Amino acid sequence: MNWLLQPLATVGAITAFFIDVLRTAATRPRYIGETLRIMWILVVRCIGPVGLAVAPVGAVISLQGLDLFRMFGLERMLSSLLGTAIFREYSPALASVMVAAQAGSSIAARIGTMRVRGQIDALAVMSVDPMRYVVVPGVIACAVVTPLLNVMTNILGVASGWVFAVPLGGVDHGAFMEHLTAQVTPADLWIGMGKCVLFGTSVGLLAGYLGMKVRGGAEAVGQAANDTVTQTIVLILVVDYVVSMMLLGADL
Amino acid sequence: MTVVLEFLRFAQRALVAQLTHVPPLDPLVRQTYQAGVGSIALLTMLTVFAGLNLSVQSYATFERFGGQDFLGMFAGIGGVRELYPVMAAIVCGARIGANLAAALANMKISEQVEALEVMSIDPMRHLVAPRLWAVTIALPLLCGYANVVGIGASYAGAVFQLGLDGGTFMSQIAEYVRLPDLMVGVVKGLVFGWIVALIACFHGYRAAKRDGAEGVGIATNRAIVHGAVVCIVLNLVISWLLYG
Repeated sequence: MNWLLQPLATVGAITAFFIDVLRTAATRPRYIGETLRIMWILVVRCIGPVGLAVAPVGAVISLQGLDLFRMFGLERMLSSLLGTAIFREYSPALASVMVAAQAGSSIAARIGTMRVRGQIDALAVMSVDPMRYVVVPGVIACAVVTPLLNVMTNILGVASGWVFAVPLGGVDHGAFMEHLTAQVTPADLWIGMGKCVLFGTSVGLLAGYLGMKVRGGAEAVGQAANDTVTQTIVLILVVDYVVSMMLLGADL
Repeated sequence: MTVVLEFLRFAQRALVAQLTHVPPLDPLVRQTYQAGVGSIALLTMLTVFAGLNLSVQSYATFERFGGQDFLGMFAGIGGVRELYPVMAAIVCGARIGANLAAALANMKISEQVEALEVMSIDPMRHLVAPRLWAVTIALPLLCGYANVVGIGASYAGAVFQLGLDGGTFMSQIAEYVRLPDLMVGVVKGLVFGWIVALIACFHGYRAAKRDGAEGVGIATNRAIVHGAVVCIVLNLVISWLLYG
């Protein structure tokens, strides 16, 4: 039965942790300075990798999409595929994956290191709630920074797609712009942003959970940082799928 | 800038060590097993959801201009040529690369690498080369596996959830996904595997004793992030050369 109980116990523990985080975030005192400091660090550290990772995706969609659409003489329609794919799916998912790789792992490592060195217990002794001071700012920072980065990657993705479609692919600029503005609605943009908030929260949450769970030495810290990345990627894909199904059901 | 030069010098040394000597068999088999079989569970889970996503999401897009009957073609070609190789590289980069970087950085800060050098055993040949070969062998196989799982998941999503015709879906995959497309996926896996392992080994090798335990964490983090970014950019370059 162990193989069944173990995952269930983990899910239960993460849910309890999530409720704990929500309760702590809703009550005072709040450490706004600490939150802003972490947010700034996240923006500075993530902006390069996230931008570099998402920009080529728009170009690849243009390349492969042109290849397929040429068969039917539909090149002009490319931008509607590009726009919806970038805004709704790839920019939120990929930006969150890179935030998990860059920021999630370092948050988990930081909390884990504090745990190993006894700094978490020291905070508790000084009657500073470690959840409030260490975990909640990280979760909030991830939930806010991911959508902000998504704005940038949306622009980058469509711009790189434009480069590969119009100057390199021979699609008419007017047709590209017309289909982009006609087919892509503000709803697509907001769905992408909403997904980012969801994914960002899960990054911060898993990082905090795995970091607080660290026992032992430096090796456990590395393991927690690594687990954060792989498990967050799985979680992002699962959540993405559930959201996509729900949106399809809601006809959005 | 100096880091890039250092990386190129490391790549050159690694390539020489990799190609001029037969790698020791025992670590090679162990590393290949760890990299390959160890990643299967994670990769299966991810590809199932990525395949389902590919179906569901492209359905939502294609429906707008009445192209949902071409879902099979799109899911097949987009998945096999681009999505699954890149995903396998990112995920396995996050798992295998992080393990490689952590292991090498640990050896480095506990001065085991220097100990090997003192015994006149070339660490490049005995530590780095088997690991590079192992990932270069394992990742193309994982890519092939991801293709199968991913197309299966796309099919399941299209037929059982979206109610499309299964025969149409499969016949489009059979018609449009040709052998060259599958080969492209495998070649991408080969390139990505080598580069991910090289970046991981480089960052692990760069850790110095004075960095201590934190150096291991930094090396791991950089291995994951740099590996993912380089794979995505490289994927664009390869696709551009082939289809541009």
